[in-house]
Amino acid sequence: MDQRNFEYMFYGLAAAWTILCLYALLLTSRGRKIQSEIDHLKRMLDSSPKK
Amino acid sequence: MRDKLIYGAGIFAALYFVRNLYVILLQLPDEAMQGAVYRIFFFHLPPYFTAVACFLGAAIASGLYLKTKNWKYDVFAVSATEVGLALAAINLVTGMIWGRQQWGIWWTWDARLTSALITWLIYLGYLMLREGIKDPSERAKNSAVLSIFAFFAVYFTYKANEWYRTQHPGPVLTIRTGKNTIDPAMQAMLFHNLGAFLLLAVVLVAVRMNLENSQRAVESLRRRAHAIA
Amino acid sequence: MTYFNQVFAIAGKDLRSELRTKEALNASLSFAVVILLLFSFVVDPDSEMLEQMSGGLLWMVFAFSGVLILNRGFARELPNDCLDALIASPIPGSALFFGKAIANFALIAIIEAICFPVFGILYNLTWTAQLPVLVAVSALATWAMATLGTMFGALTVNMQLRELMLPMLIYPMLIPALMSAMQLTTLLVAGQAIDSEHIVWLRVLIAFDIIFTSLAAVLVETVLVG
Repeated sequence: MDQRNFEYMFYGLAAAWTILCLYALLLTSRGRKIQSEIDHLKRMLDSSPKK
Repeated sequence: MRDKLIYGAGIFAALYFVRNLYVILLQLPDEAMQGAVYRIFFFHLPPYFTAVACFLGAAIASGLYLKTKNWKYDVFAVSATEVGLALAAINLVTGMIWGRQQWGIWWTWDARLTSALITWLIYLGYLMLREGIKDPSERAKNSAVLSIFAFFAVYFTYKANEWYRTQHPGPVLTIRTGKNTIDPAMQAMLFHNLGAFLLLAVVLVAVRMNLENSQRAVESLRRRAHAIA
Repeated sequence: MTYFNQVFAIAGKDLRSELRTKEALNASLSFAVVILLLFSFVVDPDSEMLEQMSGGLLWMVFAFSGVLILNRGFARELPNDCLDALIASPIPGSALFFGKAIANFALIAIIEAICFPVFGILYNLTWTAQLPVLVAVSALATWAMATLGTMFGALTVNMQLRELMLPMLIYPMLIPALMSAMQLTTLLVAGQAIDSEHIVWLRVLIAFDIIFTSLAAVLVETVLVG
């Protein structure tokens, strides 16, 4: 492969993958937060006195 | 079952990307003038097409929501817009890096780059609008209208650019120019990477939709819990 | 009442209430003049660069001060449930939209009519060489601003951060129209007619107006009523 401008190609590909990974991480962290809140609320509902 | 499908699609997308990267880095011929950096192109154009597809999907879903008031269309609209925004960001950043190497400048205010930035800002406004409205049905209704406006604005901005020659390279795909301006192996690779990105977008939208549905479940659970407890 | 009567009833109501108090108009006008003054520090008023920047400068002024007026458009209906009364009235939503858009258009046009001479005086430029075409171009661009501003005003009327969201939503979408207006105004203020190279901007402006006015007229009923 032609090695000219190899650095910039690397930066470009790295940037693309970094943004994708950051977005995927954002989604999973939000998912975990929602899941923990669901668990907390379920516990609250289960522990509350039934009417 | 649906979760298994999403996992499967995700793994397939990952493998597809690995195969594409192998071809991009090791098998494709060299470009005459740019050296290695032209290979960024395969991560510059497909995300843009995929983002536009996401925005179009969001606009259609918004129209369907306004017609049927079915929540799932609203969920799809916000998910598709968010994923499209991430992909459009990839388009902008890879373009800037490529431009820095080719033209020596990080940014230029030519028509195509400007309209890509405008698109990004318009859809960022969509997400901000959603953040600002608390009532779910008003949020869904207003953001649906904005999504339709946004897509028209984006399409209009894109078309307005075609009437004005720019610094940005013109179309290279054979379907647009009608003649052979690009090596067929490169063009095939472009479509392959487009397929990979589309698959990835489908997976991300599905994940984001799950998130949105969970968020709504949380909100209704919260109301119940605070009413009872 | 016929459709036109309804539209002009709404427009007249808005214009009358604004022109009696002149709140938004005064604020907007002062803001416009202050920006014009500030720009004299950005570019040397005697240089040739000013001629190239005249369109951009003027339309930035109109965009910023116009948003002050557009913010008031639906917001003035919030106290005393006036907005609910308007929505409940038997006029179609598009009549309400057009009435408000025309009122906003007239108010921004007043700002422009005052700012052009002020600009000519402060920066020592004669700008009346192509006056009829300049008026037409300004009218088209102002209509674009009024349409989008009224539409997004309806979208954001119930939000807390309305004054922040409205500019954030309007400016990116308005850019094709603003850009065309800036290019054409620079040309016309310098006294040149629109030649074949620049006619494309006029086309963009007209297409923008047609597309977004139709879109707004169709969708405004959904926004207001649901």
